[in-house]
Amino acid sequence: MRFGGLLCIDSLNAHIENNELVGMIGPNGAGKTTVFNIITSVYRPTEGDVIFDGKSLLNYKTFQIAELGICRTFQNIRLFPSLSVKDNVRVSFGIRLKSHFFSAIAQLPKYFSEEKEIDEKIDELLEMFDLLKVKDEQATSLPYGQQRKVEIVRALATDPKLLLLDEPAAGMNPTEKVDLMNLIKNVKDKFKISILLIEHDMRVVMGVCERIFVLDYGKKIAEGSPSEIQNNPRVIEAYLGEAKK
Amino acid sequence: MKNKIILLSSILIILLLNIFYNNFPDIIDPYTYNIIIYIGISIILATSLNLINGFTGQFSLGHAGFMAVGGYLSIALSTYFGPFFQRIFGNGLFGNSITFIIVLLSAGIAAAIVGIIVGIPSLRLKGDYLAIITLGFGEIIRVLIQGMNIVGGAQNFSGVYFYQNGVVSPAMIAELPDVNYVFYQVPKYTDFFWTFSLAAIVVYVVYTLVNSTYGKGFLAVKDDEIAAESMGINTTKYKVIAFVTGAFFAGIAGSLYGHYNQTLNPEDFNFLKSVEIVIMVILGGMGSIPGVIIAAIILTILPELLRNPEISITLIFFIPYLLFIYRFTIRNKDRYSKIKLIGIDLISIIFLGALLYFLMPVLISNIPNISTLRMIIYALLLIFLMLNRPQGLFGVKFKIRKKTA
Repeated sequence: MRFGGLLCIDSLNAHIENNELVGMIGPNGAGKTTVFNIITSVYRPTEGDVIFDGKSLLNYKTFQIAELGICRTFQNIRLFPSLSVKDNVRVSFGIRLKSHFFSAIAQLPKYFSEEKEIDEKIDELLEMFDLLKVKDEQATSLPYGQQRKVEIVRALATDPKLLLLDEPAAGMNPTEKVDLMNLIKNVKDKFKISILLIEHDMRVVMGVCERIFVLDYGKKIAEGSPSEIQNNPRVIEAYLGEAKK
Repeated sequence: MKNKIILLSSILIILLLNIFYNNFPDIIDPYTYNIIIYIGISIILATSLNLINGFTGQFSLGHAGFMAVGGYLSIALSTYFGPFFQRIFGNGLFGNSITFIIVLLSAGIAAAIVGIIVGIPSLRLKGDYLAIITLGFGEIIRVLIQGMNIVGGAQNFSGVYFYQNGVVSPAMIAELPDVNYVFYQVPKYTDFFWTFSLAAIVVYVVYTLVNSTYGKGFLAVKDDEIAAESMGINTTKYKVIAFVTGAFFAGIAGSLYGHYNQTLNPEDFNFLKSVEIVIMVILGGMGSIPGVIIAAIILTILPELLRNPEISITLIFFIPYLLFIYRFTIRNKDRYSKIKLIGIDLISIIFLGALLYFLMPVLISNIPNISTLRMIIYALLLIFLMLNRPQGLFGVKFKIRKKTA
């Protein structure tokens, strides 16, 4: 991926298995969020390809990618400010909706049964993330940590096969972080989805991820299990600088 | 289900009121009736524009253009094909109603088609750019109509001349020798029932739409397009749907307007008409249905009310004063107890009322031509309201943070 003369992602080669929790780490400006933007077609890569379920994603638009089953959260929270928590999640059900414009206006019985079903699903998801109490509040009025959780719920509600989480634990205190990571692990097992996770907090990433790859200046410098990464000299160098000899 | 029952019962009430009025037409004078019909049309226009501007956040300034398409197409249909419709459906209440329904629907559909044609290229733009391009399209539509002799060109179009075996438009009649022809005027189909039952339908459609899971997409598009797109919402499609639905109802409003006045002039649909509808939406509060309805009522009545010098004077003195009291109350709500505050408010309002009562004869005799200044007063009141409630009468302020990619 190039922006003008700037080489942002340089021949990144990575793959994610079914039902796997993969962490992506790297220093600031390594290109982690750009990888997300490429996967969800916000940017079109100048070279290379993104393959999901055997299909190239390059010719799909962002909203079609969500229909295919890839959904993401944002590093700087992007909830819908004029909607309540519940309605924020409700928006995501739009892609699997059977009753459209005219059945919504005509208010047919089919419409009501579907709305009821969606309501139940929303409650179930919010319950899981302990947000049921605040479901009628305006989403952006919540504390930062809860807003992040709403974003994850909103992404989960599109029923994805691959969930991309961009720093889900930013702005949380250590206990909240540990809780969230356990929650993410549960989500992965319950919905049988793959998760790709960007996170800065090493302790959290090491504890939860099955596999980690490390990005530095757009290049993958290491890949492996958490313990392998911890002892990899190149990773230490990227984060802390070269050791003096 | 509840919404549908409310809609049907309100249409029934409107029907009963209409029957009542038809039997006792003296109960309201024609001038007031006129204003009531205009209120209904304004409600349709403002509510439909609210779906585009308020709920979907696409700033459109071309609503009068869609209104013109619907209005002109429908009165052309009901005049050129008027005798034809009469032959098929008869001239009774039932026949006229069916004719009017056909005419209204074709007005709406024509406006919706124009909405698609305008919407698909222009909805790629956002904010100010979209406002300018829709303004441009609105003017193009008006100028095109001015050039069409078949609907009277730049003159009023109030009917057609049936000449021997053919039909002749009003603009061409001057060139023909004076032979016997029949003038077929635009029929006056619009009445209280049609206007307000259609207003009820528009409100119902917009309300149910934005409260459904499908319709939450409109609000999502307004709030954050990138996030909406990532959640699988086809933002372009949603924008076009909002635009087309709004245009459809604007076309119907145009048709009601044409069949009420029995004449149309392209100047009725100029830029100022669009701005007037936008003002209703902004004053009522973007994305608030009751607010926009109330703003439509106020903004239709206000210019008429201001013809009365006493009301003019009262409004100039009273509204700023009421706002002052309102602000005083809000600012000091911690300093004084509630009862004390209400007392202060009441005393000051009574004091001003008494002052006005005694001053009124003096003021009226000293400023006799105040009703000629009514549009200035109207503008000043708008400025005052916007300074004090920038979010509109019923709008809610949201914390909108700066968004970066």
